[in-house]
Amino acid sequence: MCRSPLDSWESSVDLIANIGLGFSVALTPINLLFCFLGVLVGTLVGVLPGLGPVGAVAFLLSLTFKMEPASAIILLAGIYYGAMYGGSTTSILVNIPGETASVVTCLDGYRMARQGRAGAALGMAAFGSFIAGTFGVIGLMCLAPLLGRAALSFGPPEFFALTLTGLTLVAYLSQASMLKALTMATLGLLAGTAGMDPISGEERFTYGTLTLRDGFGLVPVAMGLFGIAEVLENLARIGPPSLYETKIKGLLPNAKDWKDSIWPIGRGSVLGFFLGILPGPGPVIASFMSYAMEKRLSRYPEKFGTGVIEGVAGPEAANNSATAGSFIPLLSLGIPTSGIMALFMGALMIHGIQPGPLFISRHPDLFWGFIASMYVGNAMLLVLNLPLIGIWVRVLKTPYVILFPLILLFCLIGVYSLNANTVEIVVMLGFGIFGFFMRRVGFEGAPFILALVLGPIMETSLRQSLLISRGDFSIFLTRPICAVLIVLTVAFLIWPLFTGRKKKTRE
Amino acid sequence: MRSNIAVAAVLLALAGYIFLAAGTLPFGTMRVPQTAFFPRTLAVLLGIMSLILLARALAGREALRGGEKIETQGWIRIAVTLMTLAGFALALERLGFLLTTFLLMISLLRAIEAQKWRKVVVVALATALISYAIFSLLLGVPLPAGLLGI
Repeated sequence: MCRSPLDSWESSVDLIANIGLGFSVALTPINLLFCFLGVLVGTLVGVLPGLGPVGAVAFLLSLTFKMEPASAIILLAGIYYGAMYGGSTTSILVNIPGETASVVTCLDGYRMARQGRAGAALGMAAFGSFIAGTFGVIGLMCLAPLLGRAALSFGPPEFFALTLTGLTLVAYLSQASMLKALTMATLGLLAGTAGMDPISGEERFTYGTLTLRDGFGLVPVAMGLFGIAEVLENLARIGPPSLYETKIKGLLPNAKDWKDSIWPIGRGSVLGFFLGILPGPGPVIASFMSYAMEKRLSRYPEKFGTGVIEGVAGPEAANNSATAGSFIPLLSLGIPTSGIMALFMGALMIHGIQPGPLFISRHPDLFWGFIASMYVGNAMLLVLNLPLIGIWVRVLKTPYVILFPLILLFCLIGVYSLNANTVEIVVMLGFGIFGFFMRRVGFEGAPFILALVLGPIMETSLRQSLLISRGDFSIFLTRPICAVLIVLTVAFLIWPLFTGRKKKTRE
Repeated sequence: MRSNIAVAAVLLALAGYIFLAAGTLPFGTMRVPQTAFFPRTLAVLLGIMSLILLARALAGREALRGGEKIETQGWIRIAVTLMTLAGFALALERLGFLLTTFLLMISLLRAIEAQKWRKVVVVALATALISYAIFSLLLGVPLPAGLLGI
């Protein structure tokens, strides 16, 4: 189906067998339950400001120890794409994006709500997400095994180049300054060197503490940067809540809405999927790019921002298929491309599973079960979301004075339950303060957390490469794949110097 | 503007410190890079980047972004919240989960926006009991018992 024509017959039989295997895993009662819980928590996280999907996945990561690996990843993935659904609800109804990938949905979605068309906007966001989510899952299914097989021939130089390109691209796509993002990435890599040397086992920067022997834990750092820092920022500017009361009637978009939206959804799905594969905050970039594209292609671009349905359908589709695309590099190369993928890598490694080129052939039940669960989860979200919108709106009205203490308590319990070590709570608080102040001066947390995870991979592959080449750096330029990646990296680094100020993704 | 200069200066100092601190570890050679090789290389990179940041900040080219001004009230809320969380870390294994959570919630509910005491106590008690039930009884997370014995 997706491979060379020579073995297409054999492989489509394979594919059907694999999908069958996947559903046999995903449809067991326990995994259905976890999938349901995942999308439910995800939607909740998407609805509530103050806690994003990264914080929520970090929190639940510590509770997935005792689960089967398949159940764990099904639950966590549900949170991720569930949040994409939930985020759009609050963007449309109250002009508050629950997470960054839904910021652009506010532009036209909220306008539609003010005009009494909240129902159509919500409905189209949900259908668009469903269609795009399904497209993304099919793409993931086709592309991941292919890339995984290609990556079998990768050696240390290729992996070093991949991590380098990944981090540079994340910085290049960063919404703030590229230099600041690179600085955060370097700080993250440095934080990643604390603990045992991955090759010799010698201790570095542990200052005699046991807690740092294994380096900075991913969960305390992520919860600090994305949970604590977020709440601190919200605490800084508490004001009277400005909720706009909307009556929601008729959740189903009409025929004209469909006609206007079907192409934006299609384009958004494809665009989002490929942007999702690239390193960086795929869903966020995808939603902005889709909005820009629809505006350019539209016959009435001047109406964008006044409540046109294309401005909701396209971006919502794009951010959902991007979530599926972003799993590809992690599952087939073992290289996470964003903060949240770094957490997924952590989740797999807790269970002793190494994502990478051998992942799919070694753990077919896990890979195909996970894929099938995403189909199931997308369908659940569609059914769940439309009737439950009233509940989500009520949840949004939870007073922050209750909400923030609860989020903080969850962070504390989540980190403590990991190793029953209160020092890790202190680590989390430290990174919370660090994240809060750094964000105030324009340094974002995402490159840091990604670099923290990529650090050991990068160091090991760099040192192994030099061992292979006897200290000759030309090894990175004489191997074709590696050379292409290095050239790309250099291009991303010097491009902004020539184009002057980088164009902002935000309008 | 000043905060940009301060950040760049702190980063530069950090880079210098890491470079020196890594000096106590074996560096190896390019043929056989050792433990200090990667951190030292990164420290040099960080140093270069913080110098550029510093130069840009001094030239006034770095716009301050995202840094809305925080009122004194906001800083107080943040400080009290952080102290409460640190207190939680200190007290947890001594007082046990239930009591510490109860105190944490009381402190946070009063600090973020002073609520009526009755409401504070009721919410704090309910949160402590419900979270204990969910995490300890339902999910089997080992939580410290402490003074109260549960």
